[in-house]
Amino acid sequence: MFGKLKGLFHADKAIEITAPVSGTAVPLSEVADPTFAQGILGRGVAVIPSEGRIVAPADGTIDLMFETGHAVSMTTADGAEVLIHVGLDTVQLHGKHYQVRCQDGDKVVRGQTLIEFDHEAIRAEGYDIITPVIVCNTEAFSSIHVEKNGEVAAGDVLLTLHKQ
Amino acid sequence: MKVVEYTIKDELGIHARPAGMLVKEAAQFKSSIKIAGPKKEVDAKRIMGVMSMGVKQGDAVKLTIEGEDEEAAAAALETFLKENL
Repeated sequence: MFGKLKGLFHADKAIEITAPVSGTAVPLSEVADPTFAQGILGRGVAVIPSEGRIVAPADGTIDLMFETGHAVSMTTADGAEVLIHVGLDTVQLHGKHYQVRCQDGDKVVRGQTLIEFDHEAIRAEGYDIITPVIVCNTEAFSSIHVEKNGEVAAGDVLLTLHKQ
Repeated sequence: MKVVEYTIKDELGIHARPAGMLVKEAAQFKSSIKIAGPKKEVDAKRIMGVMSMGVKQGDAVKLTIEGEDEEAAAAALETFLKENL
């Protein structure tokens, strides 16, 4: 009987999205951009980076590495569509201070470097470097739980998702 | 079926924020809504799809709308494109 229960739990295994960058995790509602704060792009969490490197938050495939390096989206092996948007309005930097380290269609593993950026220089230009981590296909999951608030290291579990 | 064609004027193209806004607008309608750019056609109600089109300034996009509220959807989306992109 316990074996069966264990099997049930196993079928509903949580999908883990780990932090793509070290820093401070804050609720999405605190992001000073309504597109993110109101969840228009999906649910998730934001990290204020303390370093200039974005790593893959799970194993998966890169859907779109923006040429400007300010954002990357990927589909994880578990089917979560994750957008990592490095800073607000940073599309306007046209790639300045960002180095792209992956390409569309790349298969990546958790922890692999996707983007390098100069967070101090971006801040110095007056941009908010807060980095929303969004599950764009929020509707595909019955629950999305934020696991971190405050200090976080890249690779720590940031979000857990359950399928419907 | 209704078709809306538009050439992107915004110098930044369809990046994350406009993609989110476009999907939010499209999702209000029951009709099936597809959007095609130079590279591919995607479901206009899916953020990842719309972003991954990688549409830039000067690119032509074509919306194909089919369903009971296609008239209203076409009008609303055409207005959205003109005002935002």
